[in-house]
Amino acid sequence: MTGGPGSRIRVAVTGLGMVSSLAPDREGTWSAMLAGRDGLGPLTRLHLPLEPARLAGEVPIACGRHQTHCEAMALRALEEALDGLEPACDPRRIGIFQGAGTSGLPVAEAYLAALLQGRRAPAAEVVQQSACTVTDALGRRLGALGPRGTVMNACSSSLLALGQAWERIAAGELDMALAGGAEGLCITTFAGFSCLKAVDTAKCRPFSRDRAGLNLGEGAVQILLEPLDRARSRGAVILGEVLGYGASMDAHHPTAPHPEGEGAARALTMALRTGGLPGEEVDLISAHGTATPANDGAECRAIRRALGSAADRVSVTSSKSQFGHTLGASGAFGAATALLALRDQVVSPTLRLEDPDPDCDLDCTPREARERPIRAALVNAFAFGGNNVSLILKRWGGA
Amino acid sequence: MTHPSDIVLTGLGLVLPCGDGIEAARTSLRCGTPCFAELPEALGRGRGAACTDFSPTGIIPPMQLRRLDRPSRFAWVAAHQAFADAGLDPKPMGDRIAVAVGTITGGSEASEAFLRPYLQRGPEGASPMVFPNSVANAASGHLALAFGLKGPSATFLERECATFAALEQGARWLRTRMAEAALVLGTDGLFPLLLDACRDARLLVRHGDPVIGSGTGFLPGEGAQAFLLETREHAEARGARIRATLAAVTAAPAMENASAARAAALAEAADRVMGERGPDRWIGGSSGSPRLDPSEGGLSRAHPAWPAPVHPKAIWGEFAGAGGPLLAAALLEPAGRVMITCPGSAGPQYAAVLEGVRL
Repeated sequence: MTGGPGSRIRVAVTGLGMVSSLAPDREGTWSAMLAGRDGLGPLTRLHLPLEPARLAGEVPIACGRHQTHCEAMALRALEEALDGLEPACDPRRIGIFQGAGTSGLPVAEAYLAALLQGRRAPAAEVVQQSACTVTDALGRRLGALGPRGTVMNACSSSLLALGQAWERIAAGELDMALAGGAEGLCITTFAGFSCLKAVDTAKCRPFSRDRAGLNLGEGAVQILLEPLDRARSRGAVILGEVLGYGASMDAHHPTAPHPEGEGAARALTMALRTGGLPGEEVDLISAHGTATPANDGAECRAIRRALGSAADRVSVTSSKSQFGHTLGASGAFGAATALLALRDQVVSPTLRLEDPDPDCDLDCTPREARERPIRAALVNAFAFGGNNVSLILKRWGGA
Repeated sequence: MTHPSDIVLTGLGLVLPCGDGIEAARTSLRCGTPCFAELPEALGRGRGAACTDFSPTGIIPPMQLRRLDRPSRFAWVAAHQAFADAGLDPKPMGDRIAVAVGTITGGSEASEAFLRPYLQRGPEGASPMVFPNSVANAASGHLALAFGLKGPSATFLERECATFAALEQGARWLRTRMAEAALVLGTDGLFPLLLDACRDARLLVRHGDPVIGSGTGFLPGEGAQAFLLETREHAEARGARIRATLAAVTAAPAMENASAARAAALAEAADRVMGERGPDRWIGGSSGSPRLDPSEGGLSRAHPAWPAPVHPKAIWGEFAGAGGPLLAAALLEPAGRVMITCPGSAGPQYAAVLEGVRL
């Protein structure tokens, strides 16, 4: 692991589950994305009549008793990722790595609301429901006795979780890892982004000249990773290879990105270096692409800094135009859509990109899906605190 | 499992209910007097161990101080101490220094401060100043700004053991050469909703101070602990004083949320890090909680030759840095081999070993 890419164990993706506002499964979500549909609609799950923004990417799902929305979505995504497979390896060599943004917060919100209304509220769930509750539920379902980690890096959480899973398998410590994230809508984030004036009252328009902010969404993605040799020997369907990741901090501002994308570029460069891949071989960037005025321009400049002239022929896309911003789960959504793009050799579109911002001078795949050769993809997730993560994925070509 | 014996600890910074700094902590741990008292109303109703003597004056500029939540303030001062203790200026290191934070409450204080007026007054009550601190990783962002830290960063929520998860990740980044130094930090702050929820859930001891092993409940505390990790190569090249070597850190998850499963997982973690040779000193994470104490009680009975554990949570309280106070206590007295066990109320149970602990 301390050596170069050649000294590491190669890591394959062999399972992928998605629960999104477009569809409750992977292929339904992907085909809807390619058809140019979005999952944004009227906000119904939260009662916030005074908020000007009324759009969200909601996921209707039945929850079990004492089960949160996040847990229900995460477990459904896990079942799809497993696709009937029950792991046949030492449970101590199965790890679970999850990223979360607000998991558990809706329970605390309900508790506080009850207290303010002078009602007694069940406190035990507030104490027990935390982000790691979802991680533990996934671990129980898989029978995993290996390492577990729950990262809360705001919007880059689940992409960092994928990086953690990769480094454990690449180092030969695990035979299987489940990585991903789940995020549910809650009052705090809706009200918070709204008071920061970061929410668009209309459907968001990443990379557009008139972009005015994000829409919030919810959902879950779970991704199974395992050593490539093991995946091949059991005849698994391989969706792609994870080559590595990079991470950095801006040290610039608590919420705004560095205007020149300096920190993000370092994460991208570190990912390329770790993966041992030149920028010229990257054909797709699954962007953070929030549609906030500050993010999209800075991200495009970061891509240019990291890729140089190769940035002129890369395809960029933002899945937030389909799902909204799923916060802690958004990095995993970006990785999932990049994996499907690598599999099918088609880039999903950035919806509503009618009038591209000259400040975002890359090919941001406006309106329609586009078939093209895709050898490798970079996935970006950036977060409050100037926290940047980039993951690098490669097409599986059978060698 | 990690055996990062090439990783050393070179800096320590402490904000604890007994006061700021290493000497205050050492004196407190030696005399063993609990720091619990009636809490100021702003922090919650009931008893706990608050950092009432905490002083950021001269360390955090007043303009910045206004923007920080309580865990971030503690973290800033602890980090400042750790860099000074290590004799390291982090700014020139840029992206070669990482940050890994563990917390139970990070972001929650700000979430309550944001949500309470919002629920009462609607959007008029929402503060754009408060909301950014509602994310658990607010402290790491503030630290990056304060000290010019530009390397990888992660914030972990792993109940009572989060700082051990941060320690493991920090060591991993050094071993994989993604950084040459890592600031590992635990931080937690008290706030009213936390106290209300813990009391309503009957987790807190009702009378007096918590008694380890009694299972009658714990009392909450707050604070931050910062640890500077370096590769041995980096530390030796700059002539740093090495406080200890991180010999091992590992976790074993409890499959079921039951006392026996938690105890078995903690025993497995301890066995993995200890091997044949026992510890010279044992720092334990029991707090009076019926969900934590039985695990260490069983471990103690299974290893009668081991020294009796020291229990920092009996003095400084539960939370208080999500396991950070246990690591801090391990560095406060010289010892050849210190084992730290950190039971959690569910999920992963952690153990670590520090070797060659020097003052």
